[in-house]
Parts: sequence; C-alpha cells; structure tokens
Amino acid sequence: MAKGTTIRMWRRSILVLTALIVFGFGTIVFRLMQLQIIQGKNLQQMAIDQQLKDTLISAKRGTIYDRNMKPLVQSATVWKVVLEPAYIKTDEKKEIISSGLSEILGIPKEEIYEKANKKSYYSILEKKVESEIKDKIVEFQSKNKIRNGIRIIEDYKRYYTFKTFASNVLGFTGSDNQGLSGIENYYDKELNGESGRLITARNAVGTNMPFEYEQRIEPKNGNSLVLTIDESIQRSIEKHLEEGRINNKAVNGATSIMMDVNNGEILGMAVKKDFNPNSPFEIEDEEVRKKIEELPADQRSKEKGKALEKQWRNKAISDAYMPGSTFKILTSSMALEENLVNDETRFNCNGSIVPYNKARSINCHKHSGHGVQNFQQIICNSCNPAFVSLGQMLGPEIFFKYYKNFGLTQKTGIDLPGEANGIFFNKDGSMAPMDLAVASFGQNFTITPIQMLSAVASIVNGGKWIQPHVTKQIIDEKGNIIKKARENMRRRVISEATSKKICKLLQVNVDTGSGKNGGVPGYDLGGKTGTSEKIGDSEEGKKDYIGSYCCFGPTESPKFVLIVIYDTPRGNSYYGGIVAAPVGAKIVNDTFPILGVNKNYKGEELEKLDTTTPFLVGSSLENAKSVLLQNELKPIIKGDGTAVVSQIPSIGAKIPKGGTVVLYTDNQSAQRKIKVPDFLGLSIASANRLAVSSELNMSIFGTAQSREEIVASKQSIPKGELVDPGTVVTVEFVQKDTIN
Amino acid sequence: MRETKSNVFSEKIKISTSKKIALNKARLNKKKTLKKNIKEISIRSGLDATFCMLTLILLVVGLIMLFSASFFNAYYYQNGDSYFFIRNQLIWAILGVVVLFLVSFFDYNKLKKLATPILCLSFILLISVLFMPVKNEVHRWITLGPVSFQASEITKFAIVLSFSHTISKNFKKMGTFRYGVLPYALILSTTAFLLYLEPHISCLIIIILLCGGMLYIGGIKLRWFGLVFAAALAGVAFLVLSNKLSYANERVVGWLDPFNSTTDTWQTRQGLYAIGSGGLWGLGLGKSRQKYLFIPEPQNDFIFSVVCEELGFIGALIILILFAMLIWRGIIISMRAKNKFGALLGIGLTAQVGLQVILNIFVVTNTIPNTGISLPFFSYGGTALVMLMAQMGIILSISRSSKLEK
Repeated sequence: MAKGTTIRMWRRSILVLTALIVFGFGTIVFRLMQLQIIQGKNLQQMAIDQQLKDTLISAKRGTIYDRNMKPLVQSATVWKVVLEPAYIKTDEKKEIISSGLSEILGIPKEEIYEKANKKSYYSILEKKVESEIKDKIVEFQSKNKIRNGIRIIEDYKRYYTFKTFASNVLGFTGSDNQGLSGIENYYDKELNGESGRLITARNAVGTNMPFEYEQRIEPKNGNSLVLTIDESIQRSIEKHLEEGRINNKAVNGATSIMMDVNNGEILGMAVKKDFNPNSPFEIEDEEVRKKIEELPADQRSKEKGKALEKQWRNKAISDAYMPGSTFKILTSSMALEENLVNDETRFNCNGSIVPYNKARSINCHKHSGHGVQNFQQIICNSCNPAFVSLGQMLGPEIFFKYYKNFGLTQKTGIDLPGEANGIFFNKDGSMAPMDLAVASFGQNFTITPIQMLSAVASIVNGGKWIQPHVTKQIIDEKGNIIKKARENMRRRVISEATSKKICKLLQVNVDTGSGKNGGVPGYDLGGKTGTSEKIGDSEEGKKDYIGSYCCFGPTESPKFVLIVIYDTPRGNSYYGGIVAAPVGAKIVNDTFPILGVNKNYKGEELEKLDTTTPFLVGSSLENAKSVLLQNELKPIIKGDGTAVVSQIPSIGAKIPKGGTVVLYTDNQSAQRKIKVPDFLGLSIASANRLAVSSELNMSIFGTAQSREEIVASKQSIPKGELVDPGTVVTVEFVQKDTIN
Repeated sequence: MRETKSNVFSEKIKISTSKKIALNKARLNKKKTLKKNIKEISIRSGLDATFCMLTLILLVVGLIMLFSASFFNAYYYQNGDSYFFIRNQLIWAILGVVVLFLVSFFDYNKLKKLATPILCLSFILLISVLFMPVKNEVHRWITLGPVSFQASEITKFAIVLSFSHTISKNFKKMGTFRYGVLPYALILSTTAFLLYLEPHISCLIIIILLCGGMLYIGGIKLRWFGLVFAAALAGVAFLVLSNKLSYANERVVGWLDPFNSTTDTWQTRQGLYAIGSGGLWGLGLGKSRQKYLFIPEPQNDFIFSVVCEELGFIGALIILILFAMLIWRGIIISMRAKNKFGALLGIGLTAQVGLQVILNIFVVTNTIPNTGISLPFFSYGGTALVMLMAQMGIILSISRSSKLEK
C-alpha cells in the first residue's frame, strides 16, 4: 500500500464519489421527474403549440335574399395580405418587398420593413384587400421573382347591394364577418358557417417539415337566408316613409311595417333615419357628425357611440310607444267579442267625460261633443268619451285578458335581435279606474310597433294571433332547403264573426270617417289613425306627439296589414291622420299591385278614374276627335291644320276621365307654355275647374270624395312652372282637419 | 396522416438503425475477436472488462442518439446531407475505439515525463487560441487543417495529468504551503486567467471543481484547500457581479425565468419543451419533434434534451445509470492502482467525465444557467471524442497494470 492508495485517499475518494453520485445524479433525477412527469403535459402542450401551424380558412358567409331570391346582402372574395418574415432573409429582399408593397397597399414603407425584420412567420399587413390590388401584388411578386415571404389568403367581405336599403333590419357585420346587428346578428351562426383550418407541422423557421404533417379541415360555407321581405315593397315603404319624415319634420324618426296577416310574414320593415351597412361605423346624419367632430376629444367617442347606437336601432321592434287612437281597434274588438255592443247601442258625447266621481274630466277632441252616436259612429268620430264608456263596460279584468291575448304583455319573438317589450300600468295586470279610462283610447301604456301590428293582424285575419317573422327559409349553398320558417305560434284571440264585423266598421272609417286620408281609390281598406301624447321625453312646456296610422286590406278577406308611425312630428301638423295616413295610402297604392290585389272602383271613384291617352298624332282632326270622345276625353284644338302634328298629354300618359287633350295642328302653336296655377287648399271640385280653365289635366291622388273638408295638399308640378298645355298635374288631396 | 408521416420518418430511422445494427454486428464480430484477444490479454494483463463494456455501450448509444438528433439539422444546414454529422462522428468513433485499446496497452507511468510538456502545450494553446478568429463571440477553437478542436480539451487533461504527477511526487509534503499549495495555485490561476480571456467559464468551473477534488483526495490541508477554493469562488462572484461577464450575467437572468425572459432563452426553452414532451416513456426513438430546428444544434450541448424527448424519463434514467456505473467503476479502478499517480490520474479523468455529464444535464434541465458544456459520448465533436476515448484508455491502462501487480 505504500506506493498505492492510502486509507485517507480511499475515504476521500469515496466521499467525492458519493458527492458526485448523490448530489449530481440525484439532482438530475429530481429535475427530470419534475420536468417530464410533473410538468410534462404543460411543456408538451407548449411544444405542440409551436410545432403545429394552424391557419384559419375563412368560410363564405351566406347570402341574404328577399322573398323573390333577389340578393340583398352578399359576400365577395377579398384578400388578406400576410408577410412571412421568416422567409425574407436578405436586407435586399426586405428592401424590395417593403417598398413594393408600400406602393401597392399605401402602408408606410418603414412599417413594412419593421415587420419584415421581426422574428416571426406570420404578420398581417392588410385585411380585406380587393382583387385588383391582389393582382398587383401577384404581378409584383412575379416581376421581382419573390417566391415566398408574401402570402395572400382568401377572405370575404360583406356587400350590401342597395346600401341603406332595409339597413336596420339587415344589420351589419364586423371586421371578422361576425354579425353585429339585425338579421346578420340574429342568424349569425347560420350565415357564418364554420371556418376551416389548415394544420401543418412546422419547424422553427415556419416552413413546413420535409415529411409534411398536414390536416385540412374544409371550411363549411354559411347558409343563406330567404327573407319574407319583398324588395320592391320595402323600397316603396322606405321611399314614402322618408318623404313623410322630411315633410313632417319627424325629429325622432319614423317606422313602418307591412305584414301578411295570414302567416305572419313581414313584407317590409323600414326605419328612418337609417345608415349604410357597408360603412356602419360612419355617422350617416351630417349634422350629428359635424356636431360630434366639434366636441372635445374626450367626449367625442362617447357621443359617437351614442349616435351610432341610435342609427342602428330598429325602431319597429325596439322602441315602445303609446298607440293612441289606433288602439281603439282593439278596444272595439273586445267589446264586440264580449257582445257588449250591437247596432242599437248608443253613446252620448257632450265634449267631455268624468270617468268616475271626483275624477279629472277627459275631453273629446270635438269640444262641442258628438252628441248621440252608434257604435260605427264612435269609431268614425274617434270619440274618446265614448271609448271611455266602452272601457268601463269591459272592466279592467276583461280588458287585461284581451290585452294579454293580443300578445301585448310579451315580446312577439320576431326573429330579430333587440326586441323590446312595452310597459303596462301594473305588472300583475291590475288597473286603476283612471288607467282603464285612458287605456281604452290607447294612452298611458306603451307597446312596440310590431306588437301593435301583430295585434291588429290577429283581429282582421279572422281572430288568430300569429307570430311575425322576417325569414322564410334557410337554404344551403346549392339552394336546398335546410330549414323552413319555424312553425308559427298561433292562438285564437277573437271569433271570426267579430273579425268580420270589425273589418267592416274600419272600412267605413277609411271611406267616410277619420281615416279618410288613408284611403286609396279602388281598394277596400280598413284602418284607424292615432295621435298620442308623448309623456316624459318632451322638453319643458312643450308637448310632443306620435302620429300613426294602421290599415289593412282588402276588407273582404284581409291579406295585409300596414302600420306607419312618425315620432315627434314638428311640421305643420302632428295628427296621425295628416302625417301618417297619406303615407300609408301611398304605400298601399304602390304595393297592392305588387301583391296582386286588383283595384275595384265603385261609385264616385269610377268617375275620377284615370285613363290612358290614345295615340292621335298623324290622324285627321275628325278622327282624333271621335277617338277622344269614345274615351270620355275632351279635345282642344290649336292651330289651323287638318291633321294632328302633336298632342299633349302624349301617348300612354295617365289622364283623368273627362280630362282635356290638346291637339296641335301646326308647329307654332306647340311653342305656347302655360303657367301652372296654385292648387293647394282647393277642394277637388274647384281644383278641377282651375285645371280645365288653365288647359291642364289634373290627376287626383288620395281620397276621392268631393267634400268641402277635403283639400289639395300637394301638387306634382310646383306653381309658376311653365309647361305645355294638357300636361297632367297630380294633386294630392287630404282631409283638412283630420281627427282620430 | 400524422401517423403515416412519422412512420415514413421512423422508417428512415429504422433503415439507419438497421445500417447501424449491421455496423454493430461488424463491430461485435470485431469485438468477439478482440474479446478473445482481451481474454488472452486480460489473463495476462487484467484489462477491466466492465469499464471497457460500459465505455463501448455509451459510445454506441451516443452514436445512435447523435444520428437521431442531428439528421434533420444536417439535412437543413448541410445541403440535404442528413448523414453529415453521423458520418464524421462515426469515423472519429472508430478511430476512438482504436485509440482506446492502443492507449490501454500503453504504460501510463510514461505520462509522468509528459506532464510538464503537456502543461506547457496547454498554456501555449490557451494563449494562441486568443488569436484565433472569433466564433459565437468567443475564441475557443483552434483549427489545424481539417481538424479543429477546443484548446480547453487539452487543458483539462493537462491539468489532471500535472496535478496527479505533482501530488504523487510530493505526496508526503502535501501539508506544506510550498509543495502542497503553491504549484497548484500557480497552475490553476494562470489557467483560470487564460480561460477567462477566451472566455470559457464552463470549462473554468469544471477545472476548479476537478482540481479541488484532486487536491482533496491528494491530501491537501483542508484550510488551504478551503482558502484557495474560497478565493476562486470569490473571484468568479466578483466577475459576475461587476458585470464584467455581461454575457454570463444575461444567462443568469434567462435562467431564472426562461419562458418570459426578455433575454435570449430560446435554446433553454426549446430544450425544456423537448424534455417535457418526452414524459415517462418518450415519443419513441427518432420521433423527436423538437429537433426540427427548434433546438438549435441538437447534436451539440443540448443532445440530452432530444434523448429525454425520444426515450422519456425511463430512457434518460438508464443512460444516467450507465454513466454512474462508469464513474463507479473508474473510481474502483483508480483505487486499485498500483501507485498514487495512477490513482490520482484515474480519479481525475473519471471525475472529469462525471462532472461534465452532470453539468451538461444541469444546463439542459435549466438547473444552472446556460453555459457550453458538451455531453461525453453523445455530443458531436470528433477530436473531443477521440480525446475522451484516449482518457478512457488511460483508465483501462491503469486497470491493467493494477491487476498485473496482483
């Protein structure tokens, strides 16, 4: 041992060995257990996250069609430009790419260069790039021989074909094609489809592995919707509603809905003002936009948010209002259904009513009173005291029973987001005597326009309440029907007999009563106007109103129901009969032909019916005269010739029966112009006389009855304008002081 | 899809393994003939069969794992040549086996005379390496024609050799300052200074631990031992704290939180992902996913993370046991050496391997801050492998002579 190891060396060696094994290897085993067994799952997940590249493949969002398969909203292909810095290795390449793309996309060059310098493999440069720009990028790539580093991924963008058209109903989508409001939002899942994924194994530089692991999950394109809305009906509603909103200065906007009473299909639903869903985040109202731009920066975004919220709002379902006299349709139906009234029942009106002892008296709009009236008369006169009595006959329990049955206590459940519910006096349905008194003519409780419309529909369609809806069916890409409109909730509210009776009563109201301005010659319409006082939201000392009109037709077997509401009209009048009913009439006039309802003229209407001007140019004077007489038209001859060289109105123009056709027999006479007179404020008879004396033709629009209180409210050619003799001037007639 | 793809890949591995099996068979045949020789020799000269087998097993396992870890990296960076690393390593490994047996016949006592020249060579190399071109911000490599090696490989051996020689020569005077402390302190401080200039802190740490262990076993008075050790530690601590080793300091920050650090902890993080992905049983031989460029240079220092990923906790444990057995056997052989020089040389060389294994895996498992230490038998590097095999040969030579004595 002297030469070899000593005991101390042995001991110390064993110590070193033990230290190495126990400390060194022990620690290693402990660490490996910690990393592999305890944290193993976590670390593995983190590893997999970086090993798999998951690229989303967008699904094409479905189209929204109108009921006749006219596309209203479509998704078109756009492109996402992505930079893949991992592939751009040289500074030279970075330079070329950043300056090239900067020029094409209009992004600052430094920004692109900075992205190219980053250690990543996916950096979005620009979303929703149009195909032309994409083509430019492809060209740039091939010109500079850039094989990788720029990736162009297919994406989709939403196009609303008719811009502001039905915007509050259709809604809009966000930057990731997600539905944010309206139908887009309600049917988001159906429309959206499922985005696909491309999962590839990748190595650290983001290129794919040599032995590719690739899994492609195809995107499932979204389904399309077929709406119940008819594009041309919607267009007509929007046109007339907007015109009325401007004329009546309805500061809080306007809404109108048209529905098929037999199946609950909404044919049109318009809200004004609206917005352009192609750029939903821009404030459409210029005044509001300017006001907001002037605000200090800190308030701007908040105010902008409010304004946007307002322009996106679907007033037809989100804003509850007091229905006013239109609600008398419901009160009348209740009374009829309960057999509380018949032809013999009489109501006395002396200008006001005190509903119960020591109560505040309720005035009639006719301060002198309507005197003794029958049931038909109280509707035509829209007599409030009579309806207070009717309400009292019903009593609060029965009133609320029907109120509930008409679906006014709950949302209709229409397939649109953001539906509101109205507010009744007490949640349990109980009513104080004064509540009942005013509720009978539609005051002091609120309901939404869609609730009101559905309730009226249930009255006129034979007595069944039907849930309204805007979507007819959901179809897939190939047009196969995936889902039909859901089975509508239906329930009987009143009997068919009552329905028939009320339809007749309301037709008389349009023909001769308070709803005259809503009448359209040739159509049998029933309807009721309403003017309600807004409580709470008007300025101090000022009263604001809502003017509305609710009508349906044809009365024989009603098919369609329409509601027109103007919120806070601050024009010449705020009465529903003046602001809303004529708009309703125009809509009906436009839309009933589309719906296949034929005109059926009777009595006085027939006389004022328009006819088309025959073709007379070239024929002899004698011949022309006899043709005109056959057509019940009067000839006026200008010039000394023997043959007609020109005629006014020209061929095919609408001209009222008994109108004049000016026949020119030489060219000089044709130079003569006539100044259009002022028709406004004249009755039909005097307007007619004026037209004849001015050698003009007058076409009548609006109610066709020759009565003193019906006066011209509008003329198609303004006074003072110079026109050819015989030109047709359309004059609109409304009742002078419409009452509800 | 994934299955088939990875099957294609494992197929590749299978092909390569079968190639290797063929190779191994060839080598086994060789071994069989060798075994006969060994038997003949061992009767005469007592070569330690256990140590020899452990060395060869670790070499083969190391080669398999190197191929698995490196083939994609080679494919990507060596122009599609997947066999780039394994081919080189295999040539060196064969050379290494030859060297192993040659050295084992060599009388290690003749190394005594070489101790001082080798130490001088080491200093010369450490100085000359400072004039070599910078690689990865440090100068460590010396290139001689087609061969390049790290100067510190020679240094480690030179230190162990000179320490063994000096200690055994002055064994009885180890208690004195002049013979027990001064020479070692001079050698160590000079070496430490030169390594600091490279800088090569990981090697410095190994050398300090190695010297400490050898002096301890050599019988240094513990107070000196403690003093020198403390001074060395204080020096390192000073350097780290005074921010002079900014590159090392940055590594400490990354070490504390590799997943959220702002410093570059990519390698550490990827290594940990690999180890964690392995779980208990591993993903299977050749099925590492992290070696696909996630772990930078998976054939080098971080090869053990790929081992953990493919073979799991169990596989890693088996390899650790092999290393532990090698160390155990090395120390037994050293203790049986017929003289103190042999004992100290054997312990020094064994401890060097052991320390390198431990520190390498400490780094890979983020137990200590990241520093460049390769894993013996596994990491890519031909000269280092031959050097290692030569050192194993020396231990075998020690075992042979000790048995001869008996």
